[in-house]
Amino acid sequence: MTTTREKAGETGRVKPGESLIEVNHLTMDYKTKEGRVSAVSDVTFHLKAGDSLGLVGESGCGKTSVALTLLRLQASNAEITGGEILLGGVNLLDLSEEEMRLHRWSDISMVFQGAMNAWNPVYRIGEQIREALDLHWPVKLTHEQSRERIAELFELVGLPPEAMDRYPHEFSGGMRQRATIAMALSCNPQLIIADEPTTALDVIVQDQILKELKKVQAELGMSIIYISHDIAVIAEVTDHMGVMYAGKIVEYGGTDEIFATPRHPYAWLLLSSTPSITGPRRKLAPLVGEPPNLMKPPSGCRFHPRCPFATDQCAAEEPAMEDLGGGHLVACWNHEKVPVGLSETPKEDL
Amino acid sequence: MLGYISKRVAQMALLFVVFLTLLFLLLQAQPGDFASQFLDPRIPAANQELIRQRLGLDQGMWGQYWTYITNFFTGDLGTSFMRYPKTVWAVIVERIPRTMFLFTMATMLSYWMGFLSGKMLAWRRGGKLEYGITLGGVFLYTVFYPWFALMMIWLWAATLEIVPINQFLTPDFWLDSPFSATSVFTAMIWSSVLVVGGLLVVQTVAGRMKEYRTQVLLRRTGRVLVFGIFVWYWASSSMRPFAADITHHAVLPVVTLAFIAFAGVMLITRGSMLETLREDYILTARAKGVPDRIIRDKHAARNALLPVVTSFILGLAFIIGGGLVTETVFSWPGMGELLLTAVTSNDIPTAIGTLALIGALALIAHIVVDIVYLFLDPRIRVQG
Amino acid sequence: MVQDPRPTPELAPDEAAVGIDAGTDEFDFEPLWRVRLRLAWEGFKRNWALFSENKVGIIGLIIIGIFFVMAIGHPILMATLWSDKQNIYDPEIGYDAPVKTLLVVEEVTDPETQIDPERAKLFDASLKAEVGDTVNVPQQPAPPSLAHPLGTNPRGNDVLSQLMFSTKAAFMLGLVAALVTVLLATTIGSVAAYFGGITDTLLMRLADLVLLMPLIPILIVLSGMFQVNLVILGLIIGVLNGFGGTAIILKSQALSVKVKPFVEAARVAGGTNWHIIFRHIIPNVLPLSFLYMMFTVTEAIALEATLSFFGLLNVDMSWGLMIQIAQSEGYLLRFDTWWLIVPPGLAVTFLAAAFFLVGRAMDEVVNPRLRAR
Repeated sequence: MTTTREKAGETGRVKPGESLIEVNHLTMDYKTKEGRVSAVSDVTFHLKAGDSLGLVGESGCGKTSVALTLLRLQASNAEITGGEILLGGVNLLDLSEEEMRLHRWSDISMVFQGAMNAWNPVYRIGEQIREALDLHWPVKLTHEQSRERIAELFELVGLPPEAMDRYPHEFSGGMRQRATIAMALSCNPQLIIADEPTTALDVIVQDQILKELKKVQAELGMSIIYISHDIAVIAEVTDHMGVMYAGKIVEYGGTDEIFATPRHPYAWLLLSSTPSITGPRRKLAPLVGEPPNLMKPPSGCRFHPRCPFATDQCAAEEPAMEDLGGGHLVACWNHEKVPVGLSETPKEDL
Repeated sequence: MLGYISKRVAQMALLFVVFLTLLFLLLQAQPGDFASQFLDPRIPAANQELIRQRLGLDQGMWGQYWTYITNFFTGDLGTSFMRYPKTVWAVIVERIPRTMFLFTMATMLSYWMGFLSGKMLAWRRGGKLEYGITLGGVFLYTVFYPWFALMMIWLWAATLEIVPINQFLTPDFWLDSPFSATSVFTAMIWSSVLVVGGLLVVQTVAGRMKEYRTQVLLRRTGRVLVFGIFVWYWASSSMRPFAADITHHAVLPVVTLAFIAFAGVMLITRGSMLETLREDYILTARAKGVPDRIIRDKHAARNALLPVVTSFILGLAFIIGGGLVTETVFSWPGMGELLLTAVTSNDIPTAIGTLALIGALALIAHIVVDIVYLFLDPRIRVQG
Repeated sequence: MVQDPRPTPELAPDEAAVGIDAGTDEFDFEPLWRVRLRLAWEGFKRNWALFSENKVGIIGLIIIGIFFVMAIGHPILMATLWSDKQNIYDPEIGYDAPVKTLLVVEEVTDPETQIDPERAKLFDASLKAEVGDTVNVPQQPAPPSLAHPLGTNPRGNDVLSQLMFSTKAAFMLGLVAALVTVLLATTIGSVAAYFGGITDTLLMRLADLVLLMPLIPILIVLSGMFQVNLVILGLIIGVLNGFGGTAIILKSQALSVKVKPFVEAARVAGGTNWHIIFRHIIPNVLPLSFLYMMFTVTEAIALEATLSFFGLLNVDMSWGLMIQIAQSEGYLLRFDTWWLIVPPGLAVTFLAAAFFLVGRAMDEVVNPRLRAR
């Protein structure tokens, strides 16, 4: 029996520690009536199998666009103008729509933002997971086998197996998010993209879900890309992280390292504006202004209009990624000026 | 679920009584009472009074109201003026199946066509074709309906002569028929109802099966079986030529009415489908690698159907009104045609009786839609 | 210690000015009505930009414009071009029968024996002619000609004049129906949403009932029992619409306005219920009301035409009545005299469609969800 995977030209499972996904110089625009919006520009990151990567930034900075592009689910008015996405060496951007369809969920699955609407209201939770199994499981499962598999998955994410016969509206927000994770895991993907997996949930459930995800990742050895505006979430669960601003990755490196010594002014301000429970009491630094309009991105460094360290050079030239050693990359002309440690009392009267 | 249905039925019954009350008030609002309107003023006053007593007009408003309501529910709608001495009920009863037939056939046809084409329109958004069809839909939706019906008659009956002009049947053909038109017609309606019921049973039973393949198999054989029985019944029945004659006459009115209702359904489906396609679960389905066709038919269309079914309630009055015009233009002897003749010949009892039954028809259709909705939307199903 | 190099945010001068230095003459205060007018104008410009993006709405507006020209064109034509031919072009009593010259081919005494209905019509006992003569007979209905661009009807009326004359009636009816609908539906919807409770339940159950009842049969019975003219018809349609579906839709809109912070603020500031309803809720429901005005006009035009077609309305002349005349004179299913049926039918269709299109385009302005991205 030929399986869907064989037909697709199996990319093969990538061994732990080897490079699973490589995104190189990915650039994407949205075409709108008013003009082109440069949503993603020159985004590069690599992820090894079994690792986790966080993408953090304000809303509208292109995180979700990157995530959807990995699955080639970008909006119909999006145009990829350059770059490549290599999954185990295969460039996903070169595949036909049908080939891509077979990679979806079997190799890369996704946990969507706001699980509320990620479920089709008229079908049972179990049926919707079974649909994924029917499409992508290497062999055709019987009814009992797929129920068994779903029960297994539910157990993994802490849901009672009988819940699979319920409808989405009968689930609480936290349960729905767990079920979403179960569905994402259903076909043993190599990579899970978790787009704001906990944003709509209350803090306690948020914590449970993150722990669940971390546990599952450790057990099953898959890679996860976390996407969040909440830097605390990224800190908790990722090994590496990229800070995105206005469609670009401005700083990239080990999560611990960036948290200890953020080098890009934006990352520094982002961290400074977040309270820390364990650290010393300090005044929070505000991040003033709005992200730029990407229809007409600012010249030079896109952050310069909001940057406290901006010089004339910043407005004129775009900084390239600079390796500070140990895989810590930053794109800033003045990264030496960024103070070590978080801002404390930036202004007396604030 | 049963609780929900019985609640709706009770609500509808109450609404119907309110409707009857309004009709009663309408009658009361007429200048003068019945007797003074129709009695010859030369009749001596004492005799006039006697007639008033006979008619119950001396009872006062509440008494009259009570008599009116009780009479209605015992099937006593009074005596028809134009068909004297037939009772209104007898006149109407003959017409009900014909109207129901026209109405259900046109409704089902229009919803089926409208849903399919609206779905396709939304799926292939953009482009000249979509624009053209949408404009055509708007034209059909707002076209002056009696005029459109005339144009249909002109094209199909007068010019191309594919279908007969007007009428319910060919009178010459029925001269020495062993069956009455009503009995043939009733048989046709019952067999159609059984087909629909049979299909529903097949669908439900197949849905309960666990394996997808068993479901498909059961559904297919079930459909073939139901239609097979239907065809076999009519092929072996001696009523066949007469049923064929009625069907031949029914085609144009049904299609014309369906066309009108179709446009509205198409436009609503298109809008609802466009909105559904933007939902997150469509993105989820795409991410799951579900093929486009299945996304469209299983994930999007199923949800887009919900507002379309709801819109049926809003469109109900529209279709009934359209049905009435259809009956008049096509000389289809149903309740609408009866209503218009009654009104133009000042036969108030028949007019009011017909109107009340048309209202009842609307309410029943509403309940049916409610029940259909119940099956389509799990969110309501569980609450009820 | 790191100094924040950014400038201290200051209030923009015009922001700071408002209302603070009211005593001094330094600031030229705009009167409130001008502020409102300016805001309304800006809002209008913004919405117009959205509206005009949609070609469909523009098409609708153009069609309405054409009909509007027809409506005001009729009295002008009657006063100028047709002023000395009132007896010919009057839509109701005007009479003109273009003369047709015919060759007499056969002698018959009884018109009933004639096979051809067209020839039967031409039979006139007062006509004295032999076989082989040519006779002049008045022709009704006459096909389009220079004098009568859309021909005449069986009674010898000019069809174009009737068509133009009826436009005014259609507009008037639409206006009455739409105004009554909006007035009622907005008030009922806002009141039901604002007060809730028993008021809401009663009004909404009533709306359900009205919504469910087929309008055409009811109107037929009403017009059979009472004398119904255009204004009364407009009122009836307006009342039924205003109590029915439109009220339900506007209520849901009013509900979403009711929970807005400014309503709460008005309540805290001591605004009375009615003040809040009329100053805060209704103005925010109005855009949607205008939308439903358009749909009401569509409905009213179609209903009027249908009732006139059945001959149930008490109107001087209308598009529906034009078709009814053709019907009562036996020209309904004869399509060689298309000018009796096609122009009024298309007029009803196009005007109704035009308002519908404008409504749909407005819908996209009012409901952002419907916009194409």
